[in-house]
Amino acid sequence: MSAVSSAPETQLTGDVIAARKPARFTLARKTIVTPVLLSLLLIAITLITVMTGSRPFNQTVIDVLVRVIFVVGLYIFIGNSGVLSFGHIGFTCLGAYAAAWLTINPIMKSSALPGLPDWLLQTRLIYWQAAILAALFAGVAALIFGKVLMRLSGIAASIATFAVLAMINTIYSNWDSVTGGTSSVVGIPIIRTIWPYLIGAVAAIFIAWAHAISRSGLALRAARDEPTAAAASGVDIPKERLVAFVVSGAVMGLGGALMAHSIGVVTPDTFYLSLTFITLSMLVVGGMGSLSGGVIGVVLLSALIQALRWMEGGVSLGDATFALPKGIQEIALGVIMIVILALRPSGLMGNREITLTRSKRNM
Amino acid sequence: MAYKIRIVATALASVSLAFPALADDEKVVVGFATAESGFMEAYDKPAQEAAMIRIEEINAAGGLLGKQIEVVKADTKSDRAEGAKAGLSVLDQGADLVVVSCDYDFGSPAALAAEDAGQVSFFLCAESVKAGIQGVGPHSFSASVLAPVQGATMAEWAFKEKGAKDFYRLLDTWTVYNKGICDGFDWMMPKLEAQGAKLVGEDTFKNEDASIAAQITRIKSLPKEPDAIMLCTMMPGAVSAIKQLRAAGINSMILNGSGVDGSYWLSAVPDLTNFYVPVQGSIYGDDPSADVNKFNTVYKEKTGAEPSSQYVYPGYVMIDVWAKAVERAGTTDADAVVAELEKMKDEPTLFGTRTFTPELHHQNRARYLIVETKAGKPGVVGEWTISEPVPMEAILK
Amino acid sequence: MLQTLFDALSLGSLYALGALGIALIFGVMRLVNFAHGDVIAFCVFALLWPSTDAMAIVFAGQLPWYLLVPFVLLCGAGLSVLCEIVVFRRFRNANPATMMIASFALGFVIRYFLLMLYSSRPKSISLLPALSQPVEIFGARLPLLQLITIVATMAILIGLTLFLRQTRFGLEMRAAAENFSMARMLGVRANRVIMGAFALSGALAGAIALIFGSQTGTVDIQMGASIMLMAFIATVIGGLGSLGGAVLAGFLLGAASVVMQVALPVDARPFRDAFVYGAVILVLLFRPQGLIAARGTKERV
Repeated sequence: MSAVSSAPETQLTGDVIAARKPARFTLARKTIVTPVLLSLLLIAITLITVMTGSRPFNQTVIDVLVRVIFVVGLYIFIGNSGVLSFGHIGFTCLGAYAAAWLTINPIMKSSALPGLPDWLLQTRLIYWQAAILAALFAGVAALIFGKVLMRLSGIAASIATFAVLAMINTIYSNWDSVTGGTSSVVGIPIIRTIWPYLIGAVAAIFIAWAHAISRSGLALRAARDEPTAAAASGVDIPKERLVAFVVSGAVMGLGGALMAHSIGVVTPDTFYLSLTFITLSMLVVGGMGSLSGGVIGVVLLSALIQALRWMEGGVSLGDATFALPKGIQEIALGVIMIVILALRPSGLMGNREITLTRSKRNM
Repeated sequence: MAYKIRIVATALASVSLAFPALADDEKVVVGFATAESGFMEAYDKPAQEAAMIRIEEINAAGGLLGKQIEVVKADTKSDRAEGAKAGLSVLDQGADLVVVSCDYDFGSPAALAAEDAGQVSFFLCAESVKAGIQGVGPHSFSASVLAPVQGATMAEWAFKEKGAKDFYRLLDTWTVYNKGICDGFDWMMPKLEAQGAKLVGEDTFKNEDASIAAQITRIKSLPKEPDAIMLCTMMPGAVSAIKQLRAAGINSMILNGSGVDGSYWLSAVPDLTNFYVPVQGSIYGDDPSADVNKFNTVYKEKTGAEPSSQYVYPGYVMIDVWAKAVERAGTTDADAVVAELEKMKDEPTLFGTRTFTPELHHQNRARYLIVETKAGKPGVVGEWTISEPVPMEAILK
Repeated sequence: MLQTLFDALSLGSLYALGALGIALIFGVMRLVNFAHGDVIAFCVFALLWPSTDAMAIVFAGQLPWYLLVPFVLLCGAGLSVLCEIVVFRRFRNANPATMMIASFALGFVIRYFLLMLYSSRPKSISLLPALSQPVEIFGARLPLLQLITIVATMAILIGLTLFLRQTRFGLEMRAAAENFSMARMLGVRANRVIMGAFALSGALAGAIALIFGSQTGTVDIQMGASIMLMAFIATVIGGLGSLGGAVLAGFLLGAASVVMQVALPVDARPFRDAFVYGAVILVLLFRPQGLIAARGTKERV
């Protein structure tokens, strides 16, 4: 694959793209409807939440918005490259800990995490500055890992990304002086207003959109659908994958930082298998190759979980209270996911995006 | 150091928005933001039942400040993000006391929500120093005893009472609780070494390891089998480790933390012998205190089963000390209750004494009963209180 | 030294059996079955009577060994075939990611079903207690169980090899593993072969459950997960679809894990898994198709 990379790349990549689309900003104008609609959906949900004034519900929606960031982050790599990654939650972990390092009060930090370098111990940033730095840190880590991994493809790449997750998890669980080991890192300022999370989710959606219509994103999707043709036309697949990997790693890092601020504690095992599978499931149920699918997958599955939970808590029907037994929620969720996938194997949205006119394939 | 941390915690708390308590004057509300489903449920529920027993006793005796205690609940689903929601949910229902999960990691999101709102939070049975001022803030407490006390107790007791000289340290790196036990052991060891004890080796494993054969081989390659193995681990890996140690023919004393208390798992290692666990009260019906044995009967009447481990007891202690503090303060106002709690010094409870100070909302020294399992039968063989409290440096390690 | 060899072999046996169970199914339907770990857990739980008490009520676990072993194997095979009929049959033509997520969702359902019946508290069971005694072999003192694990694994591997090589069914299965559509065209009945693969894979899960259960004495909802992960990795570095490769890689992973535990200094030991996974990445970089690449699974470019 790498043998082709020396070909006059810009021109040939341009040719591949030219076959699929007109000039770039026409493309931008045509496709911007999708991120705008998705953002409006999230804004509407947020506004309703703020109007109800319920604190637990507010927290629930914050959770949904953080998940949107994760799933959009996954989409940027998985959706565009077609390579399933089990490792992205590792970058979330990096982002969350970076946010912790940057925002915890220096006095607390020096007693809990004495192994941090001096300049970091002295630093204390506002949460949004920390979140941006956390995203950059996760992006750099993705660049380093990606350099090595992007030569792989298919299931080997998936397993290699999983190995990265497991390595990050093992190191963060045991490097006591820097990460606090398996114990919770505390003292992260808790942000309970919903707006920063909304901004984060909308930003993630627009980043995903911008990447998808960029030269690199288009080339990568061409390579996903027609690997041989794309490689023959001079698309450097490992390089384009690396770009997507880094961008998605950074978005995952941003999500990790915001998640840390939403709960106030971080531990390595928060960022391991269960979060990996939940977020992947949301993406696949929504539609792996579609940005709208990712966002809608999160919103629908979260709504479903919430509804089942209410039923577990008990719903009054007239005089009788009807409640599902505890634990049914997870079983029902699993069954519903299987049914959706059996009926729509490529997810609810498939490869389509939502637009004003009608659903159309790819952007 | 402790003083500094307290300032930090206070500062943190004052920065965050203090929500006005929505307390109803007619009743006192205790909110349980604990796991009613998922894997933490097995640990939260027994302690919660014990707490309910104390609440019913108080209500039957006329209530607290003349008002009945009302209980509200929210399920954390054994999930951290859900924990934060559960905490907010019981606060919205007017909780004066927020009771959170047994484990610091799973309880802290709800406790932090309570701290934000300026309400008292109590961990059901967390044994990490963070479950309190250090990890939540000045309104947070734990009803149990610090894990390092358990490790220190077992080491000192084995040396003084059983004449153990050669110790081996086997740590399961899975949780802070495990590391805490070994931290206490590490603090005690140099004192014992000055008196002739010796640490002959150490190793680590992971709770989920399918086999600890390599670790066992390392023990067996020692010139002489150690007198005692300090095993810092918890369920479910503990059973596996104990079973494998014995199956390999290692017959040393095995010293543990309280996490392995209970007879429900003993069938897995038939005829287990030379096995020691520190407990706050005995579930085996042979507690030196008749009141503990009476409590066990009440618990059985109420839940249909005897306590499965000593982790039932802290739930009872928790409501007991909190209610005493409320009575003394004459109000459920958080700051007044905290001030009363912090005045408690060696406050007697059914399950040993409790001391809270403005630096530590936890026990750094406690009387422990030692339960020996002999030929598969557990029973109390003695009690031990460590010669000096575990210092802050060892706890915070 | 000899002791270490046995340690490595017995851990490797568990991984190899797990990897084989995953590779069998992958071979015939390109499905990475994440529910495999939960099938293992189910087999152990099947020995207990459903109850949420702390004390386990042993039910089938009291059977004598000559009934117990077939019972557990049948449980695994039965559940596995049931999964195929109810769920995976509907995913024959889906892409691998969809199947993978469906299998994960199925595992989720099995896990929470067990959780409802048995509660989350890990329970204890004395399974085949006679095996917990030490024996002396070439100067090394090992638990009898370790020896039996190794011997049983070898027996299973030899038996399976004979089965796949000597019987018509085995031939069909191997043909299907190499090129499923071609085999179908040549008259191999797809449903029968796939069900056979699921049954074998489930029985292997039962075998792991037996070994694991008697070794740890614990019945825990999470117990299949760690073995499943290692088995999954072994399947990939062994060469997806290659049964021999899966077994070889399973043993290698077991050996790597044990050797690192022995060789690393005490401060680095907690990081053991990071080194193991690092080695996995290295293997993949040098042999992306796995140690023994199965024919027919190569990506054509």
